[in-house]
Amino acid sequence: MSKAASVQGSRYFEDFSVGDIYKHFRGKTVKENDAVTICNMVLNSASGHFNDDLMSGTAIGESIVYGGVTISMVIGLAAQDTASNAIRELGMDNIKLLSPVKHGDTLYAYSEVLDTADDEQGGVVTFRHYGVNQKDKLVFQGERRVLLKKRGA
Amino acid sequence: MSDENLPFPNADKAELLLVGNQYEDFEIGQVFEHHWGRTLNSGDNAQFSYLTLHFNPNYFNAEYAKANGHEKIVVNPLLVFNTVLGMSVEDLSERGGPFLGINELTHHAFVYEGDTIVARSTVLDKRESQSNPDVGIVTWHTQGFNQRDELVIDYKRSNIVAKSGKRAKI
Repeated sequence: MSKAASVQGSRYFEDFSVGDIYKHFRGKTVKENDAVTICNMVLNSASGHFNDDLMSGTAIGESIVYGGVTISMVIGLAAQDTASNAIRELGMDNIKLLSPVKHGDTLYAYSEVLDTADDEQGGVVTFRHYGVNQKDKLVFQGERRVLLKKRGA
Repeated sequence: MSDENLPFPNADKAELLLVGNQYEDFEIGQVFEHHWGRTLNSGDNAQFSYLTLHFNPNYFNAEYAKANGHEKIVVNPLLVFNTVLGMSVEDLSERGGPFLGINELTHHAFVYEGDTIVARSTVLDKRESQSNPDVGIVTWHTQGFNQRDELVIDYKRSNIVAKSGKRAKI
């Protein structure tokens, strides 16, 4: 197998135990380049995410980050550790957007292992991911089920 | 307004062409076949995955994807989710208010670069807000299908939705 085909992810099914809590290494400041690009790319037409003039009359006073970007960015920040060996993403549940995210806010990701289950192709892990901003405020939490490779498989 | 304050003549006579729905417009069981459809191409997939730092090589390394049983690069499932949700926004939540959450999301099938996704939603529930008489909370079941009409994703979404003539507080 070529070098390109045999690159390795970081953590495997065996590396996760129920009750583990991780803080992922990288945070990311969510700018218009990220949030407006993704919002427009996925055809989300809600002006509140890309029209500052319209939003100037609200308490927030400017366009806000589309919640799907918050969900995706936090899971992305957790992905090297919890998805780089994913065989397939199975689903998500109890996804809660708890506080608005503004352009320029910085997101950090934490993950908790809720469940692990053996599977003939690998193993299924249920995580609860948490997204926290630069003021240590929880902006997102949600559960995600993923089928991960086993080490050496 | 006097004519000299208008950006062009008769600008004050322009009819605002509204889109979308408000709380009163939703009935439980109502179905929306959403507009547009979206072919997810390799540029979309790579850009979405790198902007969100989602480092699973199945989404941007063709040789790895092949070695892992795929004929083509897999589309990041979070891009599939966001595209299905995005296409549902005008009908469901553009006139509404804050997006509260997602429940019972299932990825039913892989989506590959070049596949085309469409979306459909059914109104599951609507209820008045306890704290704000100007808004209600609506829950929809949304499904995404590929070009072979196979279900690729489904989930339930809840939003605050403004009532007629009102705006949700943001």
